[in-house]
Amino acid sequence: MKKLAYIFVTLILFASATAMAQDQLSSQRKQAVDSLALEKVRDLSKYITIIGDKETPWSEANRVIDRAEELFMQGSEIGVSSLAKTEISYYGVRKYFERLMRLNYNKVEISWYNIEYVSDLQRQPDGTFVGVITIFQKFKGYDAEGRLVYQDTTKKDITIYVKRKETQIGGRLIGFWDVMLGDIRVKETSK
Amino acid sequence: MTKAVKVFSKTLMVLLVVTIAFGGATSCKSKKKLAQEKAAAEYAVKVDQAKKDLTAIIDGSTNWTADEMTQRIATITSYNIDDQEVKGLIVEAEQKVDELKAEELRKAEEERLRQAEEAKRSKFLTIDEQFKAIASAANIDEANNQIQKTIQEFETPDIPVLIIISKNADFNDYDKPTTISKFLNYLKDKKQYKYAVESVKKNSLGKITELELIIK
Repeated sequence: MKKLAYIFVTLILFASATAMAQDQLSSQRKQAVDSLALEKVRDLSKYITIIGDKETPWSEANRVIDRAEELFMQGSEIGVSSLAKTEISYYGVRKYFERLMRLNYNKVEISWYNIEYVSDLQRQPDGTFVGVITIFQKFKGYDAEGRLVYQDTTKKDITIYVKRKETQIGGRLIGFWDVMLGDIRVKETSK
Repeated sequence: MTKAVKVFSKTLMVLLVVTIAFGGATSCKSKKKLAQEKAAAEYAVKVDQAKKDLTAIIDGSTNWTADEMTQRIATITSYNIDDQEVKGLIVEAEQKVDELKAEELRKAEEERLRQAEEAKRSKFLTIDEQFKAIASAANIDEANNQIQKTIQEFETPDIPVLIIISKNADFNDYDKPTTISKFLNYLKDKKQYKYAVESVKKNSLGKITELELIIK
């Protein structure tokens, strides 16, 4: 009986040590997680380009909206600015993408660049890593004659949440990093 | 007169014996000396050669293999050369050979891993090529056709796709698991395939039931 208890305690200690080792990030693992979060922002950039593109078939745009929405935490908002207005409007994620798909231009070009961390991922007491990635968005709207009728450049900050989770797949316990995007705040808009 | 002759011949005999005795002894002594000198010269050559060989091992200017170096050091050690410089060189050379052997082991392990990786890559080459074809499709229709073709290889469109973002000693870090259907569409959207197939599980019909990729 004593032997059994000893084995049981050893197993618990071993499992705890393994879990702790997996939670403590080496620089190589931290770099992999940083890159993963940046990649999610690049994915969003690609999705926004596809959704905004007037040549994207409606069914494709809707499929991409679904994928884009999955990148965000529930209740996140995306800021929209314009050179014509001083105030910034915030929309729910789905609504933002639907508006983007229906923008009143004949052709829309959206590109993101200078995607980088402004605030590194920092571990919070609950184990979630939180950071901020900044991006610059170049927006161009063309009319039916192909004339550029509106353009702006907006600097936006995206809050990133990363948490380690586990799931069972094929009888295996898989430890994965769940990267979720939070609010996208407009920092400045210029011509 | 006869007495005088007798004394003279006796004296001559004694002188002859003494001459032979002393002369022979002197000749023996010079042979020994010569042998000693020869041995000393041979020893000096041996020491000199030992120093040269050990120095060559240390500074890496020899073409010997690590095993040949070990053998040479053992031979030199067996001479028991009483010379501080040689003794120091032996220690240094032994360290150098240990380093070389460790390096050879590391290179052999790297080569083994490289060959194993190559074998794995060639095993999954077809799947990798199909994924690349989706990512590099010229337009949406072509990409969708390619997706339809590729998805036939899988048991269902919902089979899990695991993406390794970091390999660790006894566990891997993954991206959030997705499905093959979503992953193939992701390749179409991103127009980029920057992964390699790490492992594949198949059912009895040869359809893929689980796919593991690694970020390149």
